[in-house]
Amino acid sequence: MDDLQFRRIIYGDPNCMDADVLQAKKDDPSKQQFAHEIDHLEQKINTALKVNVPDELANRLILQQVLASHQQQKRKSRIQLALAASVAFVVGLSVNQFKSAPAYAVPTYATIGEYALAHTHNEEHMFQNNMLANMSLASLNQKIQPFGGHFNQSIGNLISAGYCDFGNIKALHLEYQGLHKPVTVFVIPNDNPLTMQASFADAKLHGSAEKFKHADVLIVADKQEPLGKWQQTVKNNITWSI
Amino acid sequence: MASKQIRYEALVRALHSDLYRYAYWLCHDKHVAEDLVQETFLRAWRALDSLKDEKAAKSWLITILRRENARRFEKKRLEMSEYDEMSIADTSSTSTEQEMENQLLRNKISKLPEEYREPLVLQIIGGFSGDEIASLLDLNKNTVMTRLFRARNQLKDALENEPLSRGQHSG
Repeated sequence: MDDLQFRRIIYGDPNCMDADVLQAKKDDPSKQQFAHEIDHLEQKINTALKVNVPDELANRLILQQVLASHQQQKRKSRIQLALAASVAFVVGLSVNQFKSAPAYAVPTYATIGEYALAHTHNEEHMFQNNMLANMSLASLNQKIQPFGGHFNQSIGNLISAGYCDFGNIKALHLEYQGLHKPVTVFVIPNDNPLTMQASFADAKLHGSAEKFKHADVLIVADKQEPLGKWQQTVKNNITWSI
Repeated sequence: MASKQIRYEALVRALHSDLYRYAYWLCHDKHVAEDLVQETFLRAWRALDSLKDEKAAKSWLITILRRENARRFEKKRLEMSEYDEMSIADTSSTSTEQEMENQLLRNKISKLPEEYREPLVLQIIGGFSGDEIASLLDLNKNTVMTRLFRARNQLKDALENEPLSRGQHSG
């Protein structure tokens, strides 16, 4: 390798490890000397290029990203909160939407009884036995229609009717006047992932669940309330679409 | 989301110094350099999912930075003559011969034509090979190697020929 070629290579890449370059250095002490000088120069250039980096730049860069993603998160959270309201009055739902919508997430509770009891306890403070609702049967039927059901007759004195969530499952939540305390009736689509239980209870409440054509109907009441009577009334007065 | 955060932090810690230095030699202004780096990392955060291989992170970030710099092209850059005055002023204070030489070299590097300086900075700060630099700058490899040759050649001459100012120095 001639001098000119050697110098061009070394100037271009002082750290070149090509076999012929290494050989050339070995064979010719003047080439070795030249390479050494360029190494020396390279060290100086290296130092010169390494200007001081501002203190805390790394931390500032990380902070700016945390702030940016926090802003993004805040926007998302606000939207999620609005959607996840536990009592949501949804208007104009179609049958298809309720029947085919899958429960996307696995519920925290697995059995139908656990959900029904927990939900009732959670909201019992909201309902009084003598607080009657002023709702026509037609309006009530509009609410049960997405579940494929229809009230031929009212099954009791209505306190409240609305939609709520059984985990990720949309439910119709009805409250009726009971002997002493309100009786809760839930209507949920029957293709739900919850484990079916004909009856369930805890220290204060007891309940029943029954599968109908398109929906499960759950009844939860305090232990003095006779569930059998309510189950019978539900069977007699709710019809299910074909 | 947590792992994206961790990934981002790792990139910042590993690469922010090189990115900053590259930016500095691109624009010669500490504040502009910092702005460029912040913009670059913010864009990188948003597009982080598109980075498939951590080994490609540095060239990816440098590409983003070059684009950011191109956007700022209208921004007035520090005039070369102003820069000269700044650095000459430094050497008149008490500094060692090494420091003076370092300052001189910085001066010379900034005076290099940009097409010579950029490959040099990419090679040394970026650690890129001739082929990688050719790819980043959209040039052929021979052109890149020639420019590197010329850059170092000029700097070598500059150091050999320029007398250092005989100010006070210790030692």
